Amino acid sequence: MDAILEVRNLTKRFHGLLAIDHVSFTLERNEILGLIGPNGAGKTTMISLISGTLEPSEGEVLFEGAPIRQLPAYRRGRLGIARTFQVMRPFPGLTVLDNVAVGALFGASGHSRVLRDAREEAQRWLEFVGLDRHSWQRAESLGGPDRKRLELAKALAMRPKLLLLDEVMAGLNHVEIEEVINVIKKVRDRGISILVIEHVMKAIQSLSDRLLVLRSGEKIAEGQPQEVLSNDEVIAAYLGKKRHE
Amino acid sequence: MKFSTKCAVGGLVIALLATVPWWGSAVLVQFGINALILATLAQSWNIIGGYTGYPSFGNSVFYGLGGYGVAIAMVQYGMPFPVGMAIGVGLAAAFAILLGLPVLRLRGHYFAIATLGLAEVMTAIVSNLEIAGRNVGLILPLVKGDALFFELALILLVVTTLTVAWISRSRFGFALIAIRENEQAAAVMGVNTTLYKILAFALCSIFAAIAGGIHAYWITYLDPGSAFDVTLNVKMIIMAVFGGAGTIFGPVLGAFVLSAISEVLATKVTSLASIFFGIVIVAAIVFMPRGFADFVRQFRHLGWRYFQENIRTYRV
Amino acid sequence: MQLLWQILVNGVLLGGLYALMALGLVLVWGVLNIVNLAHGALIMLGAYACYYLFTGLGLDPFAALPVAMVLLFCLGYLIQRYVLNLIIRAPMFNTLLITFGLEVVITYLAQMIFSADFRTVNPSYAGANFIFLGATVPLVRLLAFGVALGLTFALWLFLERTRIGRAIRATAQNLIAARLYGVNPRHLYALTFGIGAALAGAAGTLYGVVSQINPYIGSGLTGKSFAIAIIGGLDKSIYVLAGGLFLGIVEAMTALYIGPTYTDVVSFGILVLVLIARPTGLLGRTA
Repeated sequence: MDAILEVRNLTKRFHGLLAIDHVSFTLERNEILGLIGPNGAGKTTMISLISGTLEPSEGEVLFEGAPIRQLPAYRRGRLGIARTFQVMRPFPGLTVLDNVAVGALFGASGHSRVLRDAREEAQRWLEFVGLDRHSWQRAESLGGPDRKRLELAKALAMRPKLLLLDEVMAGLNHVEIEEVINVIKKVRDRGISILVIEHVMKAIQSLSDRLLVLRSGEKIAEGQPQEVLSNDEVIAAYLGKKRHE
Repeated sequence: MKFSTKCAVGGLVIALLATVPWWGSAVLVQFGINALILATLAQSWNIIGGYTGYPSFGNSVFYGLGGYGVAIAMVQYGMPFPVGMAIGVGLAAAFAILLGLPVLRLRGHYFAIATLGLAEVMTAIVSNLEIAGRNVGLILPLVKGDALFFELALILLVVTTLTVAWISRSRFGFALIAIRENEQAAAVMGVNTTLYKILAFALCSIFAAIAGGIHAYWITYLDPGSAFDVTLNVKMIIMAVFGGAGTIFGPVLGAFVLSAISEVLATKVTSLASIFFGIVIVAAIVFMPRGFADFVRQFRHLGWRYFQENIRTYRV
Repeated sequence: MQLLWQILVNGVLLGGLYALMALGLVLVWGVLNIVNLAHGALIMLGAYACYYLFTGLGLDPFAALPVAMVLLFCLGYLIQRYVLNLIIRAPMFNTLLITFGLEVVITYLAQMIFSADFRTVNPSYAGANFIFLGATVPLVRLLAFGVALGLTFALWLFLERTRIGRAIRATAQNLIAARLYGVNPRHLYALTFGIGAALAGAAGTLYGVVSQINPYIGSGLTGKSFAIAIIGGLDKSIYVLAGGLFLGIVEAMTALYIGPTYTDVVSFGILVLVLIARPTGLLGRTA
């Protein structure tokens, strides 16, 4: 198995605050890697560094073996890296369908350059995530769980090789969480590699092939879910946070 | 209405308008030329302001560069109008690209102020240039007959509007709209935001420049104050917004309606006309902030409550 | 060398007035997020208020200043309370357009009522000068500078030390926090805009004493105020003061070394450069 994503010594400072502290890891092709850690550990920052929304202070990101640090966000999108945002970012004035169509038009897929084709493809992705009933609604009128599905559909329409998911299950009930887990597994079955940030422990356990744990910007554990979750430091990281909150 | 029916109706309207110089009074024709040029300006602003969401207060620079390109070429070098026009367009596009690069990185009102600053700088620079006739300005050769300018202005407006129509249903336009709705999301989804913003800016500069060139040649006189008239900026924005920014016909509608109101009022004391114009603007922003096009669409369901709703949504 | 010193003195004196001009704009912008394109028109009204108080009632301009401030305060309060408050939650762009509409109305009303003639306010001591370390300092300009500094300081005091002032500052952060001060938001907003207008009125009064006025000076003064606000920075009154002084000195030097017709090029050129390089102003926090 070869690594689709390799992060080497990645560091990010914000005005002297160390948000990510020399983190290294790999993501294998077709793998689901879960990224967990207490609030403020730097998980979303990590995704932003990989997707190009933020620039690293030090370190390197390699996608399919090639360094991408110099590439702006849109180039990484075209190469095949797609992400969802935790604070969701729809295009409010556009319909749900057109929101997804943007991904089809500008993502890794060079072919969907005609509006009509892009919209057809968008419709297919909306069916995939279960949002096709809402195609013609304005994106801003969607409720919470549907917005999460929209984020996912937008990212998928880009036909990525690497999908970065940022808390797509927050605020969902059991049934909805099960549905999302199934969708993510279907996505992996299509050959896409996935990095998932999640707080819902049961979900991330059943979903991930491996887990990566961050605390205060540092990697404190990496490996099989059972090992990682029984690691003392990991437990302390979560419990410790709870005591002080 | 089917697309082909729309085209037929549109073609008919344009053909009808084209005949105006032959039966209309001199005043009507002059009003027409001014309105057509303003509509083109509003439409060109629509590209960068309405569709891309970057409210430029500097389009008067492109208008002025178009005018001065024509004026300098014809007056100082004896070149024919089309050559002067090409020079004006070239200048404007170059300006859009070179200065667009740093300025389009700014968001929202900072972008607006930066473009306003650019407009002021250009006015000041040109009024110091010998070749542009300094503060005194230039006088262009006279061409008799307003009909020619009317047709030119009409063709320009049609071309500009067709371009905007193309934008609204093309991949290019989709990128612009995505940038307007959420620039960060657009970038992450593969849209080269810098490139598209510059292209939109350059596109609007071309149309504004041609409008400026036609106007300068028609008036036969150009000076920095009128060429780079900063109030033109706000006028074209108000017309576009009043009619409906981000729509195909909004700016045209806004330009014609507001020009007509202004013209009708101008038969009284000029100050009074301007005061009413100002009041109309204030009232429009309060009661119809999304423009006339939106008003027409929603009035059917909501009736007079439309105005109430707008106030309720936006007040303290 | 002598000349340079004179230019510096001129620049500083001018700069104080500039700072006062921009102060009202910055207050309204920072607290209400309203970019007021009619600001220059309010300055113009302040100048005319002073003019008519001076020629009509024989009030010394510096005595007329508080009166002008009160008048402009009332006008500003009404404008905010009954017009701007209606659209304050709309996209900021709308306030840009609506304040433009207001500018048009104010300017052409002024043209109708006051006529387009140039006017000056000429108190008896208008020609008095004195010498400071070799530079000629016109008395009126020095007085204007003093008043400008005083008002800037007064505004700072007001915002820092009074309850209402702190409520206004809180509004800039958070409307809910402002409510904790027990002031009705509509009233609070109107107060803020009123104060901004009063400051514009004061600047107008001083402007009328040192320069000619007519109804059309509004848009130019708005532009100038913007330049000062952006160059100095929007966060604190002291930044505005610095911005005003900076621009005053730069303009005085430009007039001497390059040419008086180039002052606008330099002022607005610096505005654009600052926006591109450091949008928060030369002194403001880095974004």
